[in-house]
Amino acid sequence: MTEAPQRGDIAVLDAPTSAPPYGSKATTALVVVALAAVGASGWVATMMSPETTRLAFDGFVRIDGVSRLFLLLINLVFLGIATYVWGRVYSTPALQDTIGHYVGFALVFMTASNLAIVSNHMLVFWLLLEASTLAAVPLIQYRGHHTSRAASWKYLLFSSVGLTLALLGLSCIGRSMELGSAQHATFFIDATGPLIRTSDDHWRRLGLVLVLLGFGTKLGLAPMYSWLPDAYDAAPPATTALLAAVQFNVALVAVLRVMQAYGMADAALVSGELVSLGLATMAVSALNVLAARNYKKLIAYAALNHAGVIAVGLAVGKDAAYGVLLYAVSNAFIKAILFLTAGKIRVHYQTEQISEVSGLIKDLPYSGSLFMIGTFALLGLPPFGSFLGELMIMSALVASSYLLVFGSFCVVLTVTFVATGRAIFPMIWGEPKKQAHWGRQPVATILPKLLFFVALVAMGLYLPDGINGLFRRAAAELGAP
Amino acid sequence: MNFLLLGYLIVVVVPLLAASWRVSLLGLALQGLLLGWIALRSHHGLSPLSGIVLADCVILRGLVAPKILHRILTTHNTPRRNDVIPANLFSWVLVAGIVLASFRFATELSEVQPSNPLHLATVTAALLLALLVLSSQTSMFSQMVGLLRLENAVALFELLPASHESVLVQLGLSLVFLLTALLFGRFLRAELRSGSTSTPRRSHVTL
Repeated sequence: MTEAPQRGDIAVLDAPTSAPPYGSKATTALVVVALAAVGASGWVATMMSPETTRLAFDGFVRIDGVSRLFLLLINLVFLGIATYVWGRVYSTPALQDTIGHYVGFALVFMTASNLAIVSNHMLVFWLLLEASTLAAVPLIQYRGHHTSRAASWKYLLFSSVGLTLALLGLSCIGRSMELGSAQHATFFIDATGPLIRTSDDHWRRLGLVLVLLGFGTKLGLAPMYSWLPDAYDAAPPATTALLAAVQFNVALVAVLRVMQAYGMADAALVSGELVSLGLATMAVSALNVLAARNYKKLIAYAALNHAGVIAVGLAVGKDAAYGVLLYAVSNAFIKAILFLTAGKIRVHYQTEQISEVSGLIKDLPYSGSLFMIGTFALLGLPPFGSFLGELMIMSALVASSYLLVFGSFCVVLTVTFVATGRAIFPMIWGEPKKQAHWGRQPVATILPKLLFFVALVAMGLYLPDGINGLFRRAAAELGAP
Repeated sequence: MNFLLLGYLIVVVVPLLAASWRVSLLGLALQGLLLGWIALRSHHGLSPLSGIVLADCVILRGLVAPKILHRILTTHNTPRRNDVIPANLFSWVLVAGIVLASFRFATELSEVQPSNPLHLATVTAALLLALLVLSSQTSMFSQMVGLLRLENAVALFELLPASHESVLVQLGLSLVFLLTALLFGRFLRAELRSGSTSTPRRSHVTL
């Protein structure tokens, strides 16, 4: 599809004189809600007894270290995306007519995502993840052409199969509890521990395998990953950022909850499955990055690599817990920066072909710089949080004697590193193919990416005590010493 | 109970051998009705929870979901033929093999974990056959049928333990199923309208 009337790349603070009435109302509401959500999650994260786990609403709501960290993360990313959408609609009147529906579904998506993260009941978590999936379908379809419809169908199909397998897995675990001494099943995370039998239990083991495979589908883990590059490519950049930085982390929290509730009794099984899924995903990602000709798809395949690294980190367990969290949070910001910037590049060049884009740093200095920074962070270079997180995961692999996994991990990472650099660096530093055209760009579309950049650097260099405490508390709940 | 499970197995297998979308939808409707019957037999006494489970099986899975798809296909005069699995001897042998393997798996699992082998075999066969449909078909309608079969198989597995402790959770599960069926209807309608052409429906401007 083609894009809005072209604009250049320099950030100019003055706004267009006539603001679209309806579009700006809907998007202003989106920004206000996002601000309120960031305020509320910030309050929950820092003020509401940050050292304790709280239950509310008959035990259905759980506020602990993991939920505090991820609530704050997804709402910060949402605020950035909402600001970006506001800026796009403000500067592009043609978007006014359809933005109302987009905002509505985005709010449903975010409500379901927030509630899922604070859910203390695995079936309710599953329901909310499914609800956010259904709300994401119209967001992917926003462009309204055949490709986006096909991609959204693929997304729905794979998500539904994955979530149905996860539901089946939860039912198997429920059956295991009923056959145990307790004679009844519960899906409340805090009440599960005493009901999990320590003996060899086929139902529980089968259930765990299915649940991890099912939720792994939402993370984009192999073998059910093929929806991800298509959906990320066909969706508008704002939706892609929502899927990659928000829904990905909700699915990650689902996996963390499964490990908290059921994983301890079958640690070896969980670890083995996660290592297999993680390494397979990294290998698939490396091969596809090598073959990628489309920069948005290339970022999507690199995002698969991140999912693989996180799965391997989770497999190592407590020693890598802090590193996994740092890596996951960093990657949410990296993906938001890269996908939102990719949208800007698409608008400017009218193409997503890598070979058609060259000299970004001269042609689009702001987007080019952000794309360069995002790529460095994507590749795990210092001083970003992703570097530190990856380093911690690798040292935990060695410390836990996963030497073969460590070797494979390094080989695949190197291939991905070289392939990504080979494709993206000429885009940034090559000779410009278009005449430099520095027109206006609302500050609202650049500001969120700059803030994400600051957060990324902060995670690599210095984390304030309050934020570091959040990471430490969440890691401790995953077993970190 | 066993005759109901055998009946379920028959309505899972037979539509695979008939290459017609009407038979596929009839199979889904019968699966829903049989699920309702099994739910009625396994929930002793009428409670709000058993009422919701019954409505979910009979009304949503047995009537609403197949009806939505049926109405859309009828409106668009869709040709009668629709292969749920490839119509060849290899696929039919595969179906038979899956059913036999499911019984073998259920018998072995029942020896180490107490459970009804026929129930387990029916669920396993229904699940694997749904995955066979999903993996062998590329048309949107066939994939929808595969997915609905998969969801029905999971619903059958959930019926016997009756492990959902909350009416609200069960209501949520039913609501999600209804929304999924409605979304399927939207996709199918759009697919049949556009055929295989890639005609943009909306403006070229995007976020």
